[in-house]
Amino acid sequence: MSKVLIFRPQNVALILQSRIMKKINLLFVFATLLNLKSVAQNDLPDVKIKTLTGNEVNFKSLGNNGDTALIVSLWATWCIPCINELENINEQFEEMQKETPFKLAAVSIDDARTSSRVKSFVKGRGWNFDIYTDINSDLKRALNVNDVPHILIIKNGKIVYQHNGYVPGNEVELFEKLKTL
Amino acid sequence: MKKIFGAIALISLVNVCYSQDNILNGHLSGSFESYTQLYQKDTKINAILPQDRIGSNNYLKLDYNYKQFTVGVQFESYLPTVAGYPFQINESKIANKYFKYTAKKFSVQVGDFYEQFGSGLIYRSWENRQIGINNALEGVNVHVQPIDFIKIKAVYGRQRNIFEYSNSVVRGADLELDFSQLKKSERPPTTKFSMGFSYVGRYQQYTGPDPNFPPTAEATAVRMDIQGQTASVSLEYVHKLKDPHVQNNFDMSTGKAFLLNASYAKNRMGINLNFRGLENMDYRGERDAIGSNMLVNYIPALTRQHDYLTTNIYLYNPQVAGEVGGQFELFYNFSKTAAKSSKLALNFSHYRSLDDKDKVFSFGDEKYFQDLNIEWKKKWNSKWNTVLAFHNVFHNKSVIEGGVYDDVKANIILLNATYKYAKTKSFRFELQHLSTEQDFGNWAAAVAEFSFAPKWIFYVSDLYNYGKSDLNYPVIGGSYSKSGTRFGLSYGRQRAGLFCVGGVCRFVPAASGFTATLTTTFN
Repeated sequence: MSKVLIFRPQNVALILQSRIMKKINLLFVFATLLNLKSVAQNDLPDVKIKTLTGNEVNFKSLGNNGDTALIVSLWATWCIPCINELENINEQFEEMQKETPFKLAAVSIDDARTSSRVKSFVKGRGWNFDIYTDINSDLKRALNVNDVPHILIIKNGKIVYQHNGYVPGNEVELFEKLKTL
Repeated sequence: MKKIFGAIALISLVNVCYSQDNILNGHLSGSFESYTQLYQKDTKINAILPQDRIGSNNYLKLDYNYKQFTVGVQFESYLPTVAGYPFQINESKIANKYFKYTAKKFSVQVGDFYEQFGSGLIYRSWENRQIGINNALEGVNVHVQPIDFIKIKAVYGRQRNIFEYSNSVVRGADLELDFSQLKKSERPPTTKFSMGFSYVGRYQQYTGPDPNFPPTAEATAVRMDIQGQTASVSLEYVHKLKDPHVQNNFDMSTGKAFLLNASYAKNRMGINLNFRGLENMDYRGERDAIGSNMLVNYIPALTRQHDYLTTNIYLYNPQVAGEVGGQFELFYNFSKTAAKSSKLALNFSHYRSLDDKDKVFSFGDEKYFQDLNIEWKKKWNSKWNTVLAFHNVFHNKSVIEGGVYDDVKANIILLNATYKYAKTKSFRFELQHLSTEQDFGNWAAAVAEFSFAPKWIFYVSDLYNYGKSDLNYPVIGGSYSKSGTRFGLSYGRQRAGLFCVGGVCRFVPAASGFTATLTTTFN
C-alpha cells in the first residue's frame, strides 16, 4: 500500500501517520510484553536489609507474608521511645499472637556508630522477635520515614497502618488495628 | 494494513490502560519535613537574633516505583536556614534526583545516591538533616552479584556541596566475599565469614606551583567479619595515601585507621567491645573544605549516645587527626519474664592521644575523653517504670571544642520514671543533676511529660545552670501525631552547645523562641 502511495505528495501525511502508528504500535507491543513479565508482587521497596548474622534479606520479599500481618518497627538503640515501644510490644507478644497471629520485624537504623552494639543490646533485652539492620538508612529512606520510632503494618504486600512516634499505650491502637485486619 | 495496525494499537491501549499494570499504575510515596523557628531577643543567654527572626528548613521527597524502576527527587527549601546550621542560605531547589533499576543480582542508580563501604571508615555518603549533612554523590552507583558469594559495588560521581557540587570527583569500588555462601544449603548458614576490599580515590585538580603535589587522594581498605550465633568479631583497616589539605595543615604523610568490633551475646547477656586507632584520617572532597562539609568517610564517636538534657552537655567529638581508644558495653537482663523486668547496662569509653603519630596502637599521655555510665531499668508493675543512671565523665574541652580550657570532670545522676495511670495515659518525669567544679559548674534539670496515646504529648522542662550563671533554660511544648504525620510546637530557650546525631556534631548557638516541626509520610 505504501509503495503505491509513496510518490504522491498529497499522501505524504498519510504515510507519515502510518509510520508513526507503527512506532506507537511497537511501543505498545513492548509494553504488553513488559506486562507479561511482571515481577512485582507488592508495592514495597526493593531494598536489602541484614539479619543479625549479616545475611541480606530483601524487604520486598519479607513483606510477601500473605494473609499474616507483618509489623515493621523502625528503631535505634539510642532512641528511648523506640525501646519503650518494643519492650511493651514484647511484653504482650505471646498473648497477642494467640489472638491474632502476626510477625514482627524490628529494623534498627543504627549506623556504624552504634550498629555493632545491636546484637548484644537485643540479647540483654530478651526480645523474641526478628531483628534486622539498615546501616545506611536505605530502607528508612525508601519507606520515606522521617524519624524513629515509626511503625507499620503490612498485609498482603500493602502498608495498611502506620504511626510515627511513641508514647505508652500506642500499642493499644496498633493491636486493635491488627484485630480488624 | 492500517486497520490491522489500528486494531493492534487499540488492543494494546486497552490492555495497557485496563490491566492495572502499566507505568501509570506504579507506586508513589513521599515525605515532607519542616523545621521552623521564630527567634526572639534574649540578651541573658546571648541568644542569636537573625535579621529576619525566622529560620525554616523544609524537605519534600517523592519516589515513584514501577516494577524494577524507581525515580525520585528531593526538594529542599531554606527560608532561610535555621540558626546555627552549618551553612546559611536563603534558597530553594531540587537538590537530589535519581533513577534506579533493580534486578535480582544487579542494580544501577544514576543521579544522587547514598552508599557506604564497610563501616564507612573509608567511604560513606549519607544524609542527616538535623546536623546538615548531605554528601550524596551525583553520578553512578552499580551493585553486581555475579555469584552468590561475590558482591561488587562501584561508585563514581561528584559530591553534593550544599546546593552545588564539589569541583572534584570521588570514585570507588568495593568487593565483598561471603565465604559462608560457598557451601550450598537450604537454610541460611549459622556462621558467616566474609572479607571485603575497598578502593576510594578523590581527584581535585591542582593548579599550584608544587610539582610533587598529589591531586588525587587514594585510600584502600580491607575488612574481615565473622558472625556466629553467640559471638562475632570484625576488623577493618584503612590506609590513606598522601592527602594534603587545609584540615591537616597540608600534611604530606599517609593516614591510617584500625577498627575492631567484638560482641558476645548469650542467654540474657550481651557484651560489646570496640577498639579504634586512627591517624590523619580527615578525608574530604575538596582540599579547602571544613566543618562537616564534603566528607568522604565517616568517623563517628564510638561512645555511648546520650538522650538526656544533662548527659548531652559533655560529648565527645572524634579527633580524626589522631586518637586511640575504645568502648566496652555490657547488657544484662535479670528477669526471665517481661512483666517485671530488671535490666542493667554498663558502658565505658576512653579516648586519648597517640604516642607516636604514625602508630595507631601507641597510647599517648593526653587523655581526651572518658565516660563510665551505669543504667538500671526496672519495671515495677504494670504502672511504674523507672530508669536510674549514673555517669562519670572526663572531657578535655581544649581538644574537643578547641581553645584553652580546664579539663572538665563531671558526675551525673538521673532518674526517669513513667507512671501509666490508664491504658493509654501516662505521666513521665525526669530529675537530673550534673556536678562539676569546672566550666559552667553545676546543672540541674527536670522534665514533666503527659501523654495521651496515640495522639497527644505535652511537656515542660527546665535546665538550670547554678553557681556560675544562674540561668534557666525552660521549654514548654507538645505534639500531635496521627498515622504518618506528626506536628510539634514548643517555646523556650535553647542552650548553646554541641548537638550531635549519629556521632557527628554541630555547634548550636543559644536561641530563644518558638519551634514548630511538621513531618509526614505517605506510602
